[in-house]
Amino acid sequence: MIEQFQRLPGIGPKSAQRLALYVLKRPETEIQALAQALLEAKQQVGVCRVCFHLSAEDVCDICRSPSRDRATICVVADPRDVIAIEKTREYQGKYHVLGGLISPMDGIGPEQLYISPLVKRASEAEVTEVILAISPSVEGETTTLYVGQLLKPFTKVTRIAFGLPMGGDLEYADEVTLARALEGRRELD
Amino acid sequence: MFLQTLHLRQFRNYREQIVQFDAPKTILLGDNAQGKSNLLEAVELLATLRSHRVSRDRDLVQEGNPEGVVAATVKRETGVVDLALLLRASGRRTARLNGQTLKRQLDFLGALNAVEFSCLDLELVRGGPGDRRTWLDTLLVQLEPVYAHILSQYSHVLKQRNALLKRQNGDDSSNPNGMELAVWDAQLAALGTRVIRRRARAIARVAPLAALWHRNISDGQEELVIRYTPNVQAETAETDDPHQIQQAFLAKIQDRAIAEQMQGTTLVGPHRDDVDFSINQSPARQFGSQGQQRTLVLALKLAELKLIESVIHEPPLLLLDDVLAELDLTRQNKLLDTIQDRFQTLITSTHLGSFDAQWLQSSQVLRVVRGEVIKAGD
Repeated sequence: MIEQFQRLPGIGPKSAQRLALYVLKRPETEIQALAQALLEAKQQVGVCRVCFHLSAEDVCDICRSPSRDRATICVVADPRDVIAIEKTREYQGKYHVLGGLISPMDGIGPEQLYISPLVKRASEAEVTEVILAISPSVEGETTTLYVGQLLKPFTKVTRIAFGLPMGGDLEYADEVTLARALEGRRELD
Repeated sequence: MFLQTLHLRQFRNYREQIVQFDAPKTILLGDNAQGKSNLLEAVELLATLRSHRVSRDRDLVQEGNPEGVVAATVKRETGVVDLALLLRASGRRTARLNGQTLKRQLDFLGALNAVEFSCLDLELVRGGPGDRRTWLDTLLVQLEPVYAHILSQYSHVLKQRNALLKRQNGDDSSNPNGMELAVWDAQLAALGTRVIRRRARAIARVAPLAALWHRNISDGQEELVIRYTPNVQAETAETDDPHQIQQAFLAKIQDRAIAEQMQGTTLVGPHRDDVDFSINQSPARQFGSQGQQRTLVLALKLAELKLIESVIHEPPLLLLDDVLAELDLTRQNKLLDTIQDRFQTLITSTHLGSFDAQWLQSSQVLRVVRGEVIKAGD
């Protein structure tokens, strides 16, 4: 059991041992419920046919919601990013999950990602803006450039800004972030 | 700046060692393979986060141990700084500055500055272009710490692009995706341009200083010219315009497209740069005598010292690894005149007799025996 736990991300040998001992101590019903929840989630959760976010249904809640703006699509690499942006409650449009980033070293090319379904969605008349919200790593930049070029003929393409964290002091910002923030400066409005 | 203490734990052949420095010059005396150079390597690591001898941390950690530590206390004009670098045989390093773990190791750079001069540097002129790029990059990292990030991003893009070329080279059946390659080209050109411009700038700053020193050491007999020869050159050679360089970069990629596809590797970019040295208008590499090359490298190192000093407004450390005995009396004295007691200097040597007695003034002599440092005379 310890070995099984250790395979989970972020779990080292010590944490794995702690989890295993905890499981042994709890009543059987509780563990049964946990095991059931894990199995059900695995069996029922798939990806949304439209945006490829995690979903128990064929089409996810966000894609079905009538109150969300159908004209904007926010493109992210991973379902985790959808969850992060949803937490802000600031975004009212739809999403599209690529399922990763272009990385030839790991054998991931554009064909391995959900890029062509995105192009199809973006080419529909009702879409007026696609926002690329992909992290500024080397692979993220490449994916942003690639997707941006494909979508430009169909709609307006924007990308999220990068810069200083809120509440952070300028003097504590690292040089790379500062340089990046300077590059992306804009006129005061 | 002054390195007050150096603390090594499970680093190379040191189990646990604290070294106190209390003189402007420290001579580390010992037979070969006792750990003299390891000590300088530790200082180099704190200054640049790289070692000129190895690239894997596994080789730095004492054999049989999972981790090692290099720590130092440095007195600067702005106050005392505590540096610590935790090295792991497998896994990433942890860098600590004044007890705080840094999220980015980049922030570690600049806390300690040092110029290393080892007998390997004497090969700089005759060695391969890779040696000269490493020299230039190590200097740049200390002048502009953000360069470390740019360079690592460039190498990363290079690896990805090579992987893509190799894959497209491997199976002809699959339709090569020209657009995917074009995106990597754009990334390579954008980052490559930043590397090229910064390298050009560094050479422009170090070249006149080195020429001055070379003239001085050769008693006005020799004129040293250092020229950066980038693999990608804009049409107007001296330009610093990023657009022009990027255009030239992309054009050259186009030119070499077929060759790149055949070889499955990136043939264009600053990973193929070089630096040219010429003395009295003839290439130092082919025509320079042994003595001229020594003068050249010494001039280069003195230029580095002065350049770093002018940028950080404090004299950096000088590390002389087994090189003093390689210089004749005149060159030794030029060096001594320059450093005086301003630049803290660590010197390794097998015996005191191998260099001029003047060096012993204001020096502290430490003996290194099998991974232990003891005060001479004890």
